[in-house]
Amino acid sequence: MALLLRPIVSFLFFFATIAYGSVIEEEEFSEELLLKPLPDRKVLGYFHFESKAPPTNTYGRHHRLFPKAIYQLVQKFRVRELELSFTQGRWNYERWGGFDPISSSNAKPPGVELWAVFDVPEDQVDDSWKNLTHALSGLFCASVNFLESSTTYSSPDRSFRPFSGSLRYGTLPREAVCTENLTPWLKLLPCRDKAGLPALLDRPSIYRGFYHSQWLHLTSTESGSVGVESGIVLEQTLTVVLQPNTQRTSKTYSSDAVIQPSWSVSSIFGRKVSGRCVLAKSSNVYLLLEGGLVSEVKNLQKENEKSGAGSIAIEGFWSNPGFELSVIPDRVIKEVSSLHSKSSSVLYEFLIEKYSDSKPFDLGFTWKLPVVWSCPQAPLHASRFLMGSGNERGAIAISLKSTELSGGILGADIIEDSCRLRVDVFQVVPWYVKVYFHTLQVFVDEQPQTVTDVVEKIRVSPSEDKISPGVMEMVLKLPCDVKTAALTLEFDKGFLHIDEYPPDANQGFDIPSAVISFPDFRAGMHFLEDNSSNNSPMLSKFQERSPVLSYSEVLLVPLTTPDFSMPYNVITITCTVFALYFGSLLNVLRRRVGEEERLLKSKAAKKTGRLPELLSKLSAKLRGRPWEPPQSPSTSSSLISRKLIFKVTLVAGIAAAWQYYSG
Amino acid sequence: MLKMENTFDFRSFFFFFLFLLLGSTHLGNSVAYTSSSSTTMHTNNWAVLVCTSRFWFNYRHMANTLSLYRTVKRLGIPDERIILMLADDMACNARNNYPAQVFNNENHKLNLYGDNVEVDYRGYEVTVENFLRVLTGRHENAVPRSKRLLSDEGSHILLYMTGHGGDEFLKFQDSEELQSHDLADAVKQMKEKRRFKELLIMVDTCQAATLFSQLQSPGVLAIGSSMKGENSYSHHLDSDVGVSVVDRFTFYTLAFFERLNMYDNASLISLFSSYNPSMLMSNAYYRTDLYKRRLEKVWKS
Repeated sequence: MALLLRPIVSFLFFFATIAYGSVIEEEEFSEELLLKPLPDRKVLGYFHFESKAPPTNTYGRHHRLFPKAIYQLVQKFRVRELELSFTQGRWNYERWGGFDPISSSNAKPPGVELWAVFDVPEDQVDDSWKNLTHALSGLFCASVNFLESSTTYSSPDRSFRPFSGSLRYGTLPREAVCTENLTPWLKLLPCRDKAGLPALLDRPSIYRGFYHSQWLHLTSTESGSVGVESGIVLEQTLTVVLQPNTQRTSKTYSSDAVIQPSWSVSSIFGRKVSGRCVLAKSSNVYLLLEGGLVSEVKNLQKENEKSGAGSIAIEGFWSNPGFELSVIPDRVIKEVSSLHSKSSSVLYEFLIEKYSDSKPFDLGFTWKLPVVWSCPQAPLHASRFLMGSGNERGAIAISLKSTELSGGILGADIIEDSCRLRVDVFQVVPWYVKVYFHTLQVFVDEQPQTVTDVVEKIRVSPSEDKISPGVMEMVLKLPCDVKTAALTLEFDKGFLHIDEYPPDANQGFDIPSAVISFPDFRAGMHFLEDNSSNNSPMLSKFQERSPVLSYSEVLLVPLTTPDFSMPYNVITITCTVFALYFGSLLNVLRRRVGEEERLLKSKAAKKTGRLPELLSKLSAKLRGRPWEPPQSPSTSSSLISRKLIFKVTLVAGIAAAWQYYSG
Repeated sequence: MLKMENTFDFRSFFFFFLFLLLGSTHLGNSVAYTSSSSTTMHTNNWAVLVCTSRFWFNYRHMANTLSLYRTVKRLGIPDERIILMLADDMACNARNNYPAQVFNNENHKLNLYGDNVEVDYRGYEVTVENFLRVLTGRHENAVPRSKRLLSDEGSHILLYMTGHGGDEFLKFQDSEELQSHDLADAVKQMKEKRRFKELLIMVDTCQAATLFSQLQSPGVLAIGSSMKGENSYSHHLDSDVGVSVVDRFTFYTLAFFERLNMYDNASLISLFSSYNPSMLMSNAYYRTDLYKRRLEKVWKS
């Protein structure tokens, strides 16, 4: 026993000595909400919850705040990193921004997206993945278990993280997202949706929005092979784009611009925040004004001063000619430096601990003048579409269009004349869309290019029928002054087995979103901070400079669908024909017609059937011919045998024809 | 007329000695178990609620199922003992004018979808195969507990199904059929594997009675919304939602249960006698020959 224990003890010692640094020492939970007015009269709400658990070795297995379900998941499947998102709607990169941390890491494609990295030997990764999908499907009331089939997931090499081998990635573009998915997600929070910021989540108001995406990200160093164990970090975010009520804003201005609808927390969510979740370490609400908006408002302010309205004292930026806040923020934080705008963004912080049931937090944002601005864009705007017609073949095209950013910023960044813009493309295609990778064509500024000039690296794993999807990862190097670029790939449409069609096959089949990332560009927001803001996990998350990333549209491919009642038709007609064929054949073979007729005749003669005799006599009289008694059997038998031969040949002919045409 | 006949039928059952409490939530107060059918104690209650129809115009089937879900939960069966199968997403359907809400009445007083609905099988997962797997408990190892029917030999199970059916079949997702033989075989296997003590099957489809024709296992009680050759009709149309929101049989079943609370001792016979053929526009059918206890002191769920 002692022998057994010794290594364990020394192991623990080892960890106790090295496990310092970024190690989590306490369980922590924080809740934050970011609100941001969007240029197209909508409001972005971004909830960010973070739970941390210290490593099991030092802390033990019992947790006060950290969700047990997630802890067990990590322990059982040895998950090193996991990301799961449920989304409905499509993020509008042009209007809602494509360069900020939210759009890069939280704007997910429609349906379910899951990727996970496992800390198991490579041959067990698939099993772990399969079990994980089932566990998640039970946990989140979703059909995530459809990702267990090898036709739905892939193991990308470098597009995601540098964990080749143990990473699996899968999407379900058509998965419905509704209350039953959000509720278990909220149950992972220590206060559920009973107190604090999650209490704002009134289901009908959220699902009425234009876009909602719930996201869960898990990093763990529990499983040990990495070395230092720093614990588990669980991040949960909910991104919603909501439309404030527009009824109150009927004021029109001299210019064509219409004033944006004013909103408040209670008007967009239908509820107010009545205090924080007492278990949370920090509970804050932020209002983010983007650089573009800030500079517009500053211009307005300057104009006002010029036009002689000097009486307006600058009482802080929260009440200005452009808009007014109903609650005075506790702190105003400015972004340190901004790449893409003259002005830097401004963040207002509100501490929820100051509010309670009797005095709920209800931030109101009232627009006073129409303001027009735009969100920072990714260097290239990506969209994807289908080409071709008919049910046999088609082509996928990914088109990249430059936005104002690549014109301005890139131009400034040019050091040499060989300036190149790196674009990574990751695309998974289901097996029944059979892509021919040799047909890859690249157009830059509408001029066809040699593939090797533009494509720096490419990794392709062709699909295998009913076994694995086709995966394509590409690194493109485009000239910096590119206006448009396009990639096309041709494909044939495959056939599925009749059992493999979904019940609504006529709706078409989805090709999951392509992931387009710009590794040279980092979406980060660095806020001027004093020491106190260190404790905001959301802001420190924003400071991580993750690559700019966007998802393309999901494509809907119509495939030829069979007539699903056809098997029944075939079965019934085949059975009918067989019955006719065998019935008549047996009849012909087994019946001795001559004998039977003779028998009948003799019977008839015995019976002295009066009526037929009389009838035939009558008809004979009518025809004016002498009546003859019935024919003798000998003549009839020859006649019948001819008939018989005819019948047999007819049936055989039908059978042969049937064989020929059906075979 | 028919109602009279039925009550007569049940009167005759009174002569059959036995008591029954299908799933009474409190054993203490009521029922003396008699020796005959099974001597095992009643342990727990389960419910399997299945909506088999896809597509928006079948909204009412989902509303039926969710109404039963709500009722069953209200009467004391916890979520982990309810297997809810919904073949399509109606609550967050793009056609739904009331996102994340489902109503079974045009007065919109009651949002069936609530904040705490737990759907175990949904969308493409609702297939005949999965349904039979749930009943018989033959799952792959990876399937989580929340998707399994973990009943035992003392369990009382309510199986509610709604969708489009016909003579001896029930359509799943408009592409597959569950036949009366399949159902009977599954139930037989459940009995063999001691997965239930008593099973109440409730079916709201056209010609629902025909689905029970092959059942042979003891301890099974079946209620169908209509006889062979009859249709089951929807109750009313909600012009705001744009489709019919509930079926007649379910509507009147719910009306009966809404009058109950968790501590009521309503009997099944009072449920049976509450069905009025002129209101249902079909004749509700009960198959009681496999059920050996008296229907007087019953409640389910």
